Amino acid sequence: MNQPYLIECHDLVREYKMGQVTVQALRGLELCVDPGEFIVLLGPSGSGKTTTLNLIGGLDRPTSGQIIVQGDEITRYKGKQLTAYRRDRVGFIFQFFNLIPTLTAVENVEFALRLTEKDGRAAAQRSRELLDLVGLADRADHFPAELSGGEQQRVAIARALANQPPLLLCDEPTGNLDVDTGRQVLQVIRDLNRQKGTTVILVTHNTAIAAIADRIIHLHDGVISQIQPNPTPAPIAELDW
Amino acid sequence: MNKTLLHKTFRDLRAARAQSLALIFIVALGIASYIALIGSYRDLGASYKSTYDRLRFADVTFAVSEAPASVLDEIADVAGVTAVTGRLIIDTGYELPNGDQIRARLIGMPADGQPDANQLLIEDGRTLQPTDSDAVILESHFAKFYNLEPGDTVTPIINGQKTALTIVGVGTSPEYLIVSPSQQDILPSARTFAVLFLPLDALQNRLETPDAINNIAIRHQPDADQTKLIAEIQTILEPYQLEATTLQKDVPSNAALQEDLAGFGEISGLMPGLILLVAAISVYVMLGRLVRSQQPQIGLMKALGYSNRVIMLHYLTFSLIIGGTGLILGLLAGPPLAKAITGSYAAELGIPLVETRFYPDLVATSVLLSLLVVVLAGIGPARSSARLAPAEAMRLDPSVALVDGRRSFIERLLPIPFNWRLPLRNVFRMRRRSFTTGLGIIFAFILVLMSWGMLDSMNYMLDTNFNQIEQWDAIAIFDQPQTAAVLDVVRSWEGVTAVEPTIQLPATIKENDHSEDVLLTAFSPEQTMHVLRLADGLTPEEALGDGRIILTIPMADKLGLNIGDDVTLDTPFGTHTLILGGVTEEMMTATAYIAYDDAQKLSPLPTEIFNGLYLTLEPAQAQTIKNDLYHLPGAASVQLKSDIIQDWQSFMGLFYAFMGVMLLFALAMAFALLFNAVTVNVLERQRELATMRAIGASGGQIARQIMAENTILWLLTLIPGLLLGTWVAMQMGAAFSAELFSFQIVISPTSYVFTALGILAIMLLAAIPAIHRINHLDLAEATKVLT
Repeated sequence: MNQPYLIECHDLVREYKMGQVTVQALRGLELCVDPGEFIVLLGPSGSGKTTTLNLIGGLDRPTSGQIIVQGDEITRYKGKQLTAYRRDRVGFIFQFFNLIPTLTAVENVEFALRLTEKDGRAAAQRSRELLDLVGLADRADHFPAELSGGEQQRVAIARALANQPPLLLCDEPTGNLDVDTGRQVLQVIRDLNRQKGTTVILVTHNTAIAAIADRIIHLHDGVISQIQPNPTPAPIAELDW
Repeated sequence: MNKTLLHKTFRDLRAARAQSLALIFIVALGIASYIALIGSYRDLGASYKSTYDRLRFADVTFAVSEAPASVLDEIADVAGVTAVTGRLIIDTGYELPNGDQIRARLIGMPADGQPDANQLLIEDGRTLQPTDSDAVILESHFAKFYNLEPGDTVTPIINGQKTALTIVGVGTSPEYLIVSPSQQDILPSARTFAVLFLPLDALQNRLETPDAINNIAIRHQPDADQTKLIAEIQTILEPYQLEATTLQKDVPSNAALQEDLAGFGEISGLMPGLILLVAAISVYVMLGRLVRSQQPQIGLMKALGYSNRVIMLHYLTFSLIIGGTGLILGLLAGPPLAKAITGSYAAELGIPLVETRFYPDLVATSVLLSLLVVVLAGIGPARSSARLAPAEAMRLDPSVALVDGRRSFIERLLPIPFNWRLPLRNVFRMRRRSFTTGLGIIFAFILVLMSWGMLDSMNYMLDTNFNQIEQWDAIAIFDQPQTAAVLDVVRSWEGVTAVEPTIQLPATIKENDHSEDVLLTAFSPEQTMHVLRLADGLTPEEALGDGRIILTIPMADKLGLNIGDDVTLDTPFGTHTLILGGVTEEMMTATAYIAYDDAQKLSPLPTEIFNGLYLTLEPAQAQTIKNDLYHLPGAASVQLKSDIIQDWQSFMGLFYAFMGVMLLFALAMAFALLFNAVTVNVLERQRELATMRAIGASGGQIARQIMAENTILWLLTLIPGLLLGTWVAMQMGAAFSAELFSFQIVISPTSYVFTALGILAIMLLAAIPAIHRINHLDLAEATKVLT
């Protein structure tokens, strides 16, 4: 018997009203993701890749269609269920890091942990472990404004992992970083995927980065134009853009 | 500035319409309250003045024991005197149809047309005529209270006899715009005090004192030397036992009106000032946020070649539009509000000639004030917009969008739990904004506590006076000396549980060039019906007797007298020197006390006389005893404490309404200010808060965090707010105290608690729209917005 999919998207449609005009960001998208898979959504601006990520992450709701995650149809979820879904099953990594500027690196991670962990000491301890995991143990007590872009993004990764989600959603995580720093961040994400089995969906318009995925999903004008399996993902050290 | 920028301004305002409306509301509230309160203050002052001018209100009034009418010719010859009116005035009782007795003042006045001074404004019926023998004009407040009109009969007690007189007119006198019998009765008392105007001849005949007068009202040329003129008239009246010389400003009604007006004036200045300050703070906060959020647009404008001046003007236009719209609304609402306040205030007091005017200078000042407020508030953020370097302004570097995180100073002192660390740091992240918002909250504290403090103090004053100081149930005053036999008669009445005799005299205390009129009361140091609250732990026995006098604390302070100092006292029996034996805390400032035995020595009359009684009564028989007292010969006034308290309670209705309006203003202002500040704070952190929502924080957790920030701000402003509120209330109390009564500010602990909790509730309520907005954000969009 085949292992069930982690994510299934069926006939996903997302329309936006722009004044009098209705814009279709997604037009009946079909996508299935296996557990532990590393997927890259690749496409030009306006192709629907970020919309797909937002819908899977529960940040947005589709106009029609189904999203099933671990057997649960999240498109039926009400507000509180969606909040719990985002908290327990999804980790987000944003292009602009989105750290809370008034919390230190460790406190940013702790903030996410405290949503589920009631034991303050345990939360603090676990936050430091996560920062250690992304190589930032020595920068734990610095505020975001005192960290470099790469360091901020690694804090954001640690925060995304706080509640040990099975799914990591990354929206242009290197879009605001130089190449070297971008490689470091991708390495951390890739390691998590390989070592912890965390499923990763990464959105980018950068074809070079797509080479690290197990599968590359090409989007164009709101539909999948090509699914490109990648049996030999490129080593991150060799990436250049 | 070009049309396109103007369009942008309007669209930006529309985008933040809730905040813009809140700001417009505060400016409009400030301007409307400025025009309404100052305008009403001026209208009321002008109404009093025009009433006085039209009714030829006397400049000076002299009271004597009894003088022949011929003395009026002598007074008319004094240089500078332009009008003289001689009257016969007696205080007596008045029997109501239900048999109850109240106080009445009968004023015998010339009946051949209107008198030269203190004319009557006839509101219904006619003036007195020489042929009238049993006719009377009734003072309008009393007439209105009891629905009496021409043709009805009134029954004052004259010479101990109930006398039926027919009302021929109802009128207003400049001496009784507030129907106050004396300086000691500061309450309007239309219910318990009737003023009746009779033909002089008729009253003289009924009192069997033909040709006698005891009151001379004069008017003089505006440039006359009043002191010299008074001295000359006093010399003329010396043979007739001059009892009092009262300047227009000291006539009880006028003094009460002027004090009331002065209190009104204080609030009129303070209230709009505070509101406009809050408006300035709010505009500053909002515009500062707008400039920060539009940095990339500013950079673009600069890159396109817009000058610093145009950009600055563009942002200044925001505050000008807000100020201008608020101004227009304030100008529209202010004059009708002024008219309504003046009208209802005058109606409540029974002022007949009300003048309401349009004051162009108030409009001009309002324009200047609103301009000043919005320009001062807007200039800082507008200038900072012009100072931005284009490249920096346009750069979408997230590190630029980050504010510097720092630990707050409180965290360095105390271990703060994790859940409070973030709100605490958020309060301090924009320190200037937090400071200005905090200042606004402090102003709200001041306004609320001031209003509450005034109510508390009034309640405290009444409680102290009627429950602690005055232990009598009834007080009777006679206009002729009474003997021990009368005392024995009253003691023997059923329902009278105790009686204590007193002597009450009008007196003047002179100290250096300063003189103060007081009501001098003499009683035994052992009496128990008027409790002296003496300072320095003195007992009445130590402070009274052996030529000692007790003054109220404000009176002693005003005259610069200390215990042990000599006090020079003028009474109808001559000038005496006493020693200040103690100072006491009382509601009525202009009172003084001496020992009963000392008073007997001042008087040339035989010993054992009195003209006042303190009585304690069986409650069920109080009304009967009051009526019986009025039937004693020479009874001028009998008052039950329960009636006085009832009068106070009805008077307090107006006071409560006024303070209630103040409270509403304060709360509305606090809400608008905080709504604006919280919305700005939340909007600016939209991405942060959306991120929290995105990573799984619930709407409730976000709400708790924003509420926690407001609670911290509340905690930080609590102590300064309460302290400053108390201080301002103290200043208001001092302003209210003035001549007639001492208004000690006492704020109860519950008022502090209610004020504190009320402001907290407003702060939390003001956050609800912002919380609602955050919890309904498009998370996908909001997590990408940089600023």
